[in-house]
Amino acid sequence: MLTYSFKRLAQLFVTILGVVTLVFFTMRMIPGDPISAMAGDNLSGAALDQMREQMGLTEPLLLQYLKYLGSIAMLDFGNTVTTKLPIVQLILGALPVTVTIAVGTILLTVLISIPLGTLAAYMAHKGNRALDNIITGAAMVLDLMPSFWTSLVCLLVFSLVLGWFPASGMVSLDDPGQLLRRVTLPIVVLSMAQIATMARITRTSVLEVLNEDYVRTARSMGWSELRVLFRHALKNAALPIVTVVGLSFGNLLNGTVIVEFIFTLPGIGNLLVGGINSRDYQMVQTLILFYAMIFVVINFATDLIYRVFDPRVQF
Amino acid sequence: MTQEAIVLPSRRPFDLAWLHQNGIVRALGNRRIQLALAILGPILFLTVFRPLLPIQGPLQTNLREMMQPPSFQHLFGTDKMGRDLVSRTLAGVQISVFVGFAVAALALVLGLVMGTLAGFFGGIIDRVMMTITDIFLAFPSLLLAIGLVSVLGTGMVPVVLAISLSDVPRFIRLQRSLVLSLRTRAYIDAARTVKASQLWLMTRHIIPNTVAPLLVAASIAAANAILVEAGLSFLGLGIMPPAPSLGNLIRDGQSYLEQAWWISTLPGAVILLIAISLHFLSDGIRQVLDPRSHK
Repeated sequence: MLTYSFKRLAQLFVTILGVVTLVFFTMRMIPGDPISAMAGDNLSGAALDQMREQMGLTEPLLLQYLKYLGSIAMLDFGNTVTTKLPIVQLILGALPVTVTIAVGTILLTVLISIPLGTLAAYMAHKGNRALDNIITGAAMVLDLMPSFWTSLVCLLVFSLVLGWFPASGMVSLDDPGQLLRRVTLPIVVLSMAQIATMARITRTSVLEVLNEDYVRTARSMGWSELRVLFRHALKNAALPIVTVVGLSFGNLLNGTVIVEFIFTLPGIGNLLVGGINSRDYQMVQTLILFYAMIFVVINFATDLIYRVFDPRVQF
Repeated sequence: MTQEAIVLPSRRPFDLAWLHQNGIVRALGNRRIQLALAILGPILFLTVFRPLLPIQGPLQTNLREMMQPPSFQHLFGTDKMGRDLVSRTLAGVQISVFVGFAVAALALVLGLVMGTLAGFFGGIIDRVMMTITDIFLAFPSLLLAIGLVSVLGTGMVPVVLAISLSDVPRFIRLQRSLVLSLRTRAYIDAARTVKASQLWLMTRHIIPNTVAPLLVAASIAAANAILVEAGLSFLGLGIMPPAPSLGNLIRDGQSYLEQAWWISTLPGAVILLIAISLHFLSDGIRQVLDPRSHK
C-alpha cells in the first residue's frame, strides 16, 4: 500500500510539473507578448519596455521558466496586472464562495441521488422497470441540459416569476443566511446534472450487489428489506459511487464557472472570466493552474480512497 | 475417425466493407437511430435550406418589430434589434453542427493515429504519450478550453482547436486500450505467423475492429463540443457577435430575461434537442455495431 501511494505520489508530481510547464509555455505562445497584449494601444514603446523589464520578460525563456517554477514552489503567484494585488489573496478571498457552491452541490447530489438510485435498483431487482426507465431517461436529459441554459430558466422561473430567490445583489461572507439564499439556486442547477448521473451509477452498482450471495444470506437471516438494502447492499456498492463522485468533480468545476458568471457570485470562476476580459494573463494562468491542481489532487485522493477501502484491490 | 469439416467464414466478420454493405441498413432499423434522425433530420433540413425559407436573414434587423413574443410570423419571437430568432437559431445550429463535426473528426483522427501507435508499439512511445495525455486530462474540459481560447483568441478556428485539445487525449486513451486488448488475440498471432507486416496488422486487423467504439465516442464528443462551444460563446469567449452562435443568442437574451423570456430559452432548447439526439445516435451505433447487444 505504502509503495503504491509513493508511486502514485511521484506520478502526481510529474503530472503537476507537466501542467505547470504546459501552462507556462502556452501563455508564452500569445502572439507578441503578454505585455503588449495587455496594454493594448495605450502605452508607448518605452513604457512597454519598462514593464517587460519589471516582469522579467527580457530574460531568456529557460531562465524565466526556472524562475517561474521556483516562485510556484514558494506559492508566490505574483500580482495582478490591473490592480497590483497579490493573486493568491484574490483567490483566497473568492474561494469560500466557490467551495460553498461545490460542497453544497455534492451534498445535495448525494442526499437525493443515493436513495433514489438504491430505490430504482431495488425496483429493478423486483422486476419493476417503470421507475428504472424514468430515472435512466431523466438522467440523460438532465445530464445534457447546458448549465447556462438551465440557470437562466431557473432564474426566470424561481427568481423573476415566483420571486423565491434574489437574482443578484451583494454577497457578503459575513452573513451566512444571505449567502445561502444566493447560492441555493446555483446549487440546485448544478445538482440537477449530477443527481441524474449519480443516481444511475448508484442503481447499477446496487443492482449488481443485490444479486450477490451475501445479500441472499442476509435476507435468509431474516433482516428487514430496508436493513438488507442499506446495511448490506449499499455499503458494498459504495466504492464505485465514491469514484464517480471524484471523477465528476471536473464537471462540477466547469459548472461553477458558468453559474458564478450567471448569478454574479464573486467566486474564482468569475475571477477567471474577469481576468480574460481584462487580458490579465498572469491571473488567467494562475487560475487555470489552480483549477487543474484541485482536479488532480481530488482524483488522486479518490484513487487512494478506492484502494484503501477495497480489500480486493491487490498491490 | 472422421475428419470434421472446417467451415471457413466467407468474410471476416468486422471487415469495413461489410460495415458499408450491411451496416447502414441495420442502422436505419435501430429505434434509437430512428429517433435521433427524427429530431436531427428536420433541424438539419431547415438549417440547410434556411436561405430559401420565407424568414428574415439572421443578421437583418427590423426596428419596428423589436422584442416581439413568439407568433406565427416569428415562431421564436424577435430580439432587441428586431432580428428573427428562428432565422438566428438556424444559423446558430449551422455553426454548432460545424463545430461539433470538426471537433469529433479531429479528435477521432488524431486519437486513432496516436492511440494505435501507443497501444501497438508500447514501450517508450506509450509512456511518453500517456504522460502527455495525463497532463491534458488534469484540466477540467471547459477550463482547458477557456485557457486555450484566452491564448489562441476568439473565433471559429481557435474554438475548434481549444475544444479538440481536451478531447484528443480521451480518444488516444480509448484507442490505446482497444488496441491493447486486440493485440494479444489469437487472430493477430495467426496473422503474424503468415508474416503479416506491422502496417498490415494495424490497418487491416486492428483498426477496423476499433472503429465501432470510436464512432460511439465521436458522436458523444460532437454533442459535448456543441455544448462547450455554446458555453464559451455564452461567456463571451467563443464565437464573436454578431455571428449568431447559439451561445451568443442565449447571452443576448440574458439581460432581457424578464421582458423577453423567449430570446434565451428557445435557442437553448434547440441545443438540448441536438445534444439528446446525438446521444441517441451514439447509443444506436453502439447497439448496431456491437454483436453482443441484442436490445
